[in-house]
Amino acid sequence: VSGAWVMGIGKTKFGPTQKSTLHLAHEAIIAALDDAGIGPDELDAIVVANFLGGPNEGQLHLNSVVAGLFPDLHIPAWRVESACASGGVAVHNAVALLGTYPRILVVGVERMSDVGGLQLTRNIAMAGDRLLDQTVGLTFPASYALVAQAHMTEHGTTLGDLDLVSLKNHANARLNPLAHFSHKTVTLTEIEAGPTIASPLRLYDCCPVSDGAAAVVLSSTPGSSSRDIAITGSAVAVDAISLAQRRTLTGFPAAAEAARKAYAQAGITPADVDLVEVHDCFTIAEIVAMSDLGLASPAEALRMIRNGETYPEGALPVNASGGLKAGGHAIGATGVGQICELVKQLRGEASSRQVLRARRAVAHNVGGVGGSCAVHVLEGRS
Amino acid sequence: MTMDRGLTYSCGVCERTFAYDIPSCPWCGEALTRNVSGPSTVISVTRVETPSIGHEEVPYWCALAADTEGRRALHKLETEALVGQVLDTTADEGSGGRAGIIGTGVMGRGLAELLLTLGWSVVIVSRDATRAARIASAVLARLERVMDEVEIAAAGARLVTTDDLSVLQSCDVVVEAVAEDLSIKKAVLAQAEPHVRPDALLVTNTSGLELDAMAAVLEHPERFGALHFFNPVVRMRLVEISGSNQTSPDTIDALEHLAIRLGKTPIRVKARPAFVVNRILMPLIGEAIRSLEEGAADAEHIDEAVRLGLNHPMGPLALADLIGLDVVLEITENMRQQTGDEAYAPRPTLIRMVAENQLGKKTGRGFFDYS
Repeated sequence: VSGAWVMGIGKTKFGPTQKSTLHLAHEAIIAALDDAGIGPDELDAIVVANFLGGPNEGQLHLNSVVAGLFPDLHIPAWRVESACASGGVAVHNAVALLGTYPRILVVGVERMSDVGGLQLTRNIAMAGDRLLDQTVGLTFPASYALVAQAHMTEHGTTLGDLDLVSLKNHANARLNPLAHFSHKTVTLTEIEAGPTIASPLRLYDCCPVSDGAAAVVLSSTPGSSSRDIAITGSAVAVDAISLAQRRTLTGFPAAAEAARKAYAQAGITPADVDLVEVHDCFTIAEIVAMSDLGLASPAEALRMIRNGETYPEGALPVNASGGLKAGGHAIGATGVGQICELVKQLRGEASSRQVLRARRAVAHNVGGVGGSCAVHVLEGRS
Repeated sequence: MTMDRGLTYSCGVCERTFAYDIPSCPWCGEALTRNVSGPSTVISVTRVETPSIGHEEVPYWCALAADTEGRRALHKLETEALVGQVLDTTADEGSGGRAGIIGTGVMGRGLAELLLTLGWSVVIVSRDATRAARIASAVLARLERVMDEVEIAAAGARLVTTDDLSVLQSCDVVVEAVAEDLSIKKAVLAQAEPHVRPDALLVTNTSGLELDAMAAVLEHPERFGALHFFNPVVRMRLVEISGSNQTSPDTIDALEHLAIRLGKTPIRVKARPAFVVNRILMPLIGEAIRSLEEGAADAEHIDEAVRLGLNHPMGPLALADLIGLDVVLEITENMRQQTGDEAYAPRPTLIRMVAENQLGKKTGRGFFDYS
């Protein structure tokens, strides 16, 4: 990465709301511009990340819709869709284009709470291959259930391990006022009693569906503010989406490849990472992410989880925000929201959930079941 | 577009395998070899408890299985499967069989369109060869919405029209789709049967006439049953499946398998007058007409009330117009005669409109004006 700094961040609360797509986008964008201390006329381009505007709301062409917030500002803008990785891919897209557009606003936004269960489950499953996956009813939870089942067979992972991931992320969300479940204490008893969604995954193994938006202002040059955070690694890798087209179920080769590239750009190894925000759309995904990012082998990841080492005060804090699991998953906003969260941590502005000694952080955003993966390395000023 | 599960395509040069029937290897440019997977072992499986559009009935199981060559495919199962279990996932060689259709009405045409789209060969039999040929070009014209010229030409080569029943000997399944009149159906089935191979299925597309009476005119009634498709056949997912008192259990299973191969959701129903759907629909239409007769509201508002209040996509009067009021009258009369229940008697307004040739959409005028 030749030069990419996060100047400003803005994020709405994730969770059900009556606010419109544009209202949510506005809230995140204005917060990010205020945080960067610039006006809209200082932007060179806008990237909008969104997944289901079409099927959920009959709303496509969101770059132009968002442009409606800034009449007379005729700068380039485009929409990026890469399923649940839309946000991370949009940030990568912007980072790669900072040479042409020195100051880019990335905004991710999603509305999901209006759509009924049967329709929403189908719409989210649109991330899967229509002929190979959708026709056999391989919904999003079902895909990750196959991953979980294989992980249990290969690595001896238990339901108890999944429970611990859920318990930690719900506890973290209690300290994050913008988290979907910030208001709700969840106990192990409740987690264990959750009904099955797609075996072995139960209700508390799954992230909620959230409305929300998140925005970042990126710049090719660092500002005078010590609050600017450098993006030192930015990579995207893809894979065939259907699990029928893969050789392994217990890791996502695209995530591992994106991590390898991002670490190489940043000149770091996994051992240099102080904290991570990973794409835990399901509890099993957090465990898979830890090994795909090279932070631990599957066996080590299980040991760390059992020892509580992934809590904010542990050796490797994972999803101090509550993750997708309890922080919420406003799909197009998720990958952008991860960057917002890590910037807060690296600035030392994460209040009660602040991770100590947070200098290098990694964001890991996955679309579909490992089909699109974006990995970012962020570094604070020491 | 559909997918044959258990088929993969591999490149002989780079040995990569693809899930799709693509024209050539994107790496080497070589033509791909088609692999048919044999029995496969389950690698991972999940019991899905949350329904979604297209998969409303839960639980079902999704299994990822690999054959002995390591080729993987996902399968939807209605019963539990365990990791390590061997599934018989052998693909149907070539998706299409050969079907005979007797009748050139809206159902016969729709069925021909569906079968050709799925790669089947189709024989359309009609007493009037000229009419059959005209219907054939109408069916091919419908395919222009979903096929290119080359594919339509190939579909055309798979479509035969004739007035000669003996051509049915080449068919794996023969579907009678003539007028909804028991005596006509009995006569057509009796004439066709000598030309239908003993191993082929003989099917009626009745919406609920007496299957026992039809079976009685046949030499081999055990392989005869009903597949009640809905209009438009290409779009409507339901097929009602039923048999006479002489239909074998194997035939019912084969009919169900056939419906699934055609991408439909089969529901087995007892052979009673009008099966399930029409038995419920006809009284609904009757009560809508009665509401009109009693001045409850005008046609437009009766339909709007039902659409909004019962969450139906279409009001009963507009639906009656679409089906054809003559057909509605026919089915209603059949229901009354078969059940002996006067509650099913057709409404006077329906009888009058049919007598005045106001048959709905097809004549341009029914409960609504289509001119």
